[in-house]
Amino acid sequence: MQFFKNGSLEMSEQDSTAKNTLSRRDFLKLLGAAGTALTFTPFVPWGQFMPNPSNAAPQKAKVILPDGTQANVKFFPKNHSEVITYPLTGDTVLDQEAFRKWQFIRLPEELGGDKDDVSAFRVYSMVCLHLWCLWKYWPQEGRKRGECPCHGSMYNPLNGKAFVGPASLQAPPSNVLATLYLEADNDGNLWIKPAKWDVTENGIVGYGRFLKT
Amino acid sequence: MVASLKRRNGLVDFFYWVWDGYERTIFIGTKFSFPGRFVSPFGFLGMLTFVTFIILGISGALLMFYYEPILTRAWDSVAKINNTVPFGFMIRNIHYHASNAMVLLAVLHMYYQYFSGRYKIRNELLWFTGVILGTVTILEAFTGYDIIFSERAELALSIAASLTNSIPVAGPTIRDAMFGSGFADFILRFYTQHVFILPIVMLGLMAIHMPRFLVFDVPMVMAICGAIFITGGVFPVDLGSKFEPTVPPGVTVPEWYLTGIYAFLRTQYDKFVTGVAWPAAFIIALGLTPFIDRYKKFSWKDRPIITAFGITGIAQIMVTTYWGFYISPDVTKALVARLVIDPVFFYSVMLLLVPIGFGFSYMMIKLAKEAERKAKLAVSKGPHKVAQINLSEKWINWLIVALLAFQVYLNIAAYNAALAGMKNFSLFLVGLILMVFAGMFHLYRHGLSETKKVPTPPPQATQEIPKPIGTSPDSIKLLGKENPPSVTTNTAPTPEIKTANLENIRESTVGTSDIKKP
Repeated sequence: MQFFKNGSLEMSEQDSTAKNTLSRRDFLKLLGAAGTALTFTPFVPWGQFMPNPSNAAPQKAKVILPDGTQANVKFFPKNHSEVITYPLTGDTVLDQEAFRKWQFIRLPEELGGDKDDVSAFRVYSMVCLHLWCLWKYWPQEGRKRGECPCHGSMYNPLNGKAFVGPASLQAPPSNVLATLYLEADNDGNLWIKPAKWDVTENGIVGYGRFLKT
Repeated sequence: MVASLKRRNGLVDFFYWVWDGYERTIFIGTKFSFPGRFVSPFGFLGMLTFVTFIILGISGALLMFYYEPILTRAWDSVAKINNTVPFGFMIRNIHYHASNAMVLLAVLHMYYQYFSGRYKIRNELLWFTGVILGTVTILEAFTGYDIIFSERAELALSIAASLTNSIPVAGPTIRDAMFGSGFADFILRFYTQHVFILPIVMLGLMAIHMPRFLVFDVPMVMAICGAIFITGGVFPVDLGSKFEPTVPPGVTVPEWYLTGIYAFLRTQYDKFVTGVAWPAAFIIALGLTPFIDRYKKFSWKDRPIITAFGITGIAQIMVTTYWGFYISPDVTKALVARLVIDPVFFYSVMLLLVPIGFGFSYMMIKLAKEAERKAKLAVSKGPHKVAQINLSEKWINWLIVALLAFQVYLNIAAYNAALAGMKNFSLFLVGLILMVFAGMFHLYRHGLSETKKVPTPPPQATQEIPKPIGTSPDSIKLLGKENPPSVTTNTAPTPEIKTANLENIRESTVGTSDIKKP
């Protein structure tokens, strides 16, 4: 109203429009900002460049034993373990690496290893949850557990949970090993189901998994 | 003929042409000054950090010629650099010790700015970028020692990966995107970050962080280079053992700038809280300091709360750093018992440090104010209270000649040591050469400033007093906050007053002003 008294009607009008409604300039600015944002939206999926595809999208795969054969429910000995590689890349350096190494275990009889189906088998990441040494399954009487050579963490073969050693002291999910889920076909050949690297699914290698209750 | 009159030949003209050309470049915004005399070394800390960054860039680029960021070859290529490549040992040691020096200098630089309150007067942006720059510096050093893939590197990698994984919701995605999956990816990606991404980020931040006035002191730079070389010679960095996933590693701890976080992690409390949230809170608190600090004054003595926070922070850093290093040497105990820190004990010590830190800073401030008061009382003892080395021009010349001869000797000795395969001795001697050069340069500069000085006549030669105390700029500066009237009233002495009486007059000047103070 002060402007009006001073005789500049135009200014007061402009002032009021700027306060109440969107000015043309601001509208164009917003349009420009929206256009800029839209220009870059096609590049959002390009973020998938970063995770390594050899591990990010795992496939269903055969359980290949070190001798080159596919593991079979009927022939694999009880209370026994082998090292398997998953996901297999064909690259010698990558296939050597600890993060692709898994302990493929057939449980001892008293823990259910005598059944001729997938329930007799367990697969756990060999990377110890404490400091990433490679543990393995010891079938001897009185052991029958996973043991890490470095700092003595021990793992329960039934669920992959650490019960002794530094790994057992870590807060969940870092006290349960990542796992792979299996399925058997009609011939008894074992297959690895596609893994989901998530703490609530297969778990994350070297980090852990939440036990499903 | 003009050229000869100007004493300029073509080459000199070319240099002048280049020098003048700088006026059209970005460097005109930055004022470099080469101090004519020695000034407080604390003011150089930022520049020295930058110089070590340059040293790291050069030595790191040289290492890139041999290093292979491949899972099966990383450690072996570092071993090759260390053991077989000529002067590879030197380059690797320089790179390693310069990285430690850079982290240390950056931390010292930050605390000097913190306690002297330089983040004020619209320097908030410089401070904030500095805090980020410091964090990136530590990340840079961290990625550097990870890619050696020794046992210690593997420990660091596993901790870094699990800490990133522990971030709620986004953690595993970030880890997959930034670190990749598995050791092969970790090494390659940490390498990429170490040699390119993080340095580029640092350079970008530096462009903002550089103040307009830079002080570049050649002897200081040489001395820091020499110190890095000498440390490399005395404490040559070892390779560590190659990481074998089935071989029990020795008990390892991270680098000294990370043992603080490591101590928190060793309490086996939740990883995100101990390893990510606490350090992040500390960094954010540091970054926000200029906005929390509402004191109008700069000196730490006039900002008690901020000083107390700083001292408490330093105390906690020191205690956790040592605690992270400390692993009970008692091998009869189980490893878990040696490694795990009791969280109740740990956190109660952390809490206890707060009142101790506050009490300590209260005491420091009190003592400093007392010392200041005493210094004001003692001003009468004359302006030259600092001990000075007065060397005649002749002796300065002889000293420079002697240092030059010593440097020639050291050069020969260093070369012989290198030939004889005494790598770290050779490195030590090269460091000493740089130190001697620093000394020589400093002495030369001192000599130059001495020659400019007008020799003061002995007091007996003339009856005149040089100047009444109040008017000479030196004495005003020294008296500091003394109020001028009291000075002027007492600087009335007539020219007839003898020099012998001057002492008494000065004393009375200060005494009265001191009494006048409330």
